[in-house]
Amino acid sequence: MIWETVIGLETHVQLSTKTKLFSRASTAFGASPNTNVNLVDCGLPGVLPSVNKEAFYKAIRFGIAIGAQINQTSIFDRKNYFYADLPKGYQITQMDLPIVLGGSIEIITDDSSKTINITRAHLEEDAGKSIHDEYDGFSAIDLNRAGTPLLEIVSEPEISSAKEAVAYMKAMHQLVTYLDVSDGNMAQGSLRCDANVSIRKKGNKELGTRTEIKNINSFKFIEKAINYEVKRQIKILENGEKVTQETRLYDSVKDETRPMRSKEFANDYRYFPEPDLLPVVISNEEMQTIKDEFPELPKEKENRYIKEFNLSAYDAQIIASSKSMADFFEDAAKKTTNYSLLSNWLIGDISAFLNKEMIEIHESKLNSDNVAMLINRIDDQTISGKIGKSIFEEMWVSGSSPDEIIESQGLKQISDDGAIEEIIMTVIRDNPDQVEAYLGGKDKLFGFFVGQVMKLTEGKANPQAVNKILKEQLKK
Amino acid sequence: MDQETVSTICYLARLKIDQTKSEKIQNDLETIIELISGLQSIDTSNIKPLYSPLEMTALTHEDEEKSDNKKEKFLENAPASNDDYFLVPRVVE
Repeated sequence: MIWETVIGLETHVQLSTKTKLFSRASTAFGASPNTNVNLVDCGLPGVLPSVNKEAFYKAIRFGIAIGAQINQTSIFDRKNYFYADLPKGYQITQMDLPIVLGGSIEIITDDSSKTINITRAHLEEDAGKSIHDEYDGFSAIDLNRAGTPLLEIVSEPEISSAKEAVAYMKAMHQLVTYLDVSDGNMAQGSLRCDANVSIRKKGNKELGTRTEIKNINSFKFIEKAINYEVKRQIKILENGEKVTQETRLYDSVKDETRPMRSKEFANDYRYFPEPDLLPVVISNEEMQTIKDEFPELPKEKENRYIKEFNLSAYDAQIIASSKSMADFFEDAAKKTTNYSLLSNWLIGDISAFLNKEMIEIHESKLNSDNVAMLINRIDDQTISGKIGKSIFEEMWVSGSSPDEIIESQGLKQISDDGAIEEIIMTVIRDNPDQVEAYLGGKDKLFGFFVGQVMKLTEGKANPQAVNKILKEQLKK
Repeated sequence: MDQETVSTICYLARLKIDQTKSEKIQNDLETIIELISGLQSIDTSNIKPLYSPLEMTALTHEDEEKSDNKKEKFLENAPASNDDYFLVPRVVE
């Protein structure tokens, strides 16, 4: 039997607004518990929400980027359920008239690309956070996150493998960070998804029974959770049994999904229009401003880098693929003129260090001033490329500037011909046998002399100067 | 409407009702539904939905922080709390 996997993703993107969707409390991550909370966020009676338009502008920017229809009049609805971290007993969300309808996202797996259609994207408020295992017999509630704006993006069930699901989330991450819709920080929960997974016989039109895996927050876990779930469902079907429609959680430690404790009753959210909020209307002028201020997207950046900085297509594509890297490159490019050396460093050593620690460049200790300075010192031959690498390692750890490191460790390249000549003379004097052999035709020994000079200068001698003077002196 | 529906509705709203009044509540609910269902007989297929009876749009705010956090007061008024958190009977999924 050949089985076919059908996946639809619901992605929750935390919008990078300064304040909450319905109040002016801060959305800053990591604040001390229950300090970013005001009367509206903790659901006190008698208070009225107001709407943060910036959240709408960000949602609209996303909608335009995916070619969707924008509902300039949209309304909010109440989704009713009881949970301790939902202070009002309902979540304000959009049901009937979401801000974004339709559109599509292009994903790339290996060498082929595929279009995934988007059903809708709507604005809603996040809930607070529950901590279950720190206080005996109690769950502790932190309402800092309550009311943070989320954009929930619902895909059509057109994703056919865990690999494609990862590609979809990566495309989503690139898009929302590029559009400055979200900081995209997955570890802090700014981008997370629920996966609806079902299996059917290849060729069947009808969808199989699906399960929903909740709250997956890393690319790695998306792939693992879906692969596990697909295998589990195939096994059930091949045993002639039926898949139960349910919500499951992925346990990354055991690498398995398991059902969430089933509720006594099926959920019944009893949606109805939110009476505390009037319709939100976005004017044509506002729409025009959003379009006029539309940020540059990866493909446009790539082409500009090729033209403006003379980067190769390959380099331009890699640098433009991450917003964080592209911003860094552009900042540093203002402070150095050797763009190709800069891009080599970003793609090479710097990316290798970033990948090893799995962080983005803005999360490292590097800054564009220091990296540009490093490029300039190599470019003006104050230091060799090799010394540059050891300076870089120090910069990575301490965040110091290259000049500080060059100064404090005495790493400045020796380019003074007189000083180099003196060292070369010492090397020639100390190794008469090798000099004789070299002059007798053993050309390969030239490297030995270079090595000796570098050893004496701790790698600081300018290699071009060493080569030139050494050749001259050996001939004498 | 039957007694089971009444108890489901009560559960969803987390309402505890006096069982002796359950039947009266069922009758009341039936009357309300009957009354409202009169609206269903009107043909609205060509009418644009009215999302709000007020011809106004939502109150909006600038995306600038204005804090009026009253953490101590909020926690003090909760049935149970410690220095940092609201405490509720343990809920685990």
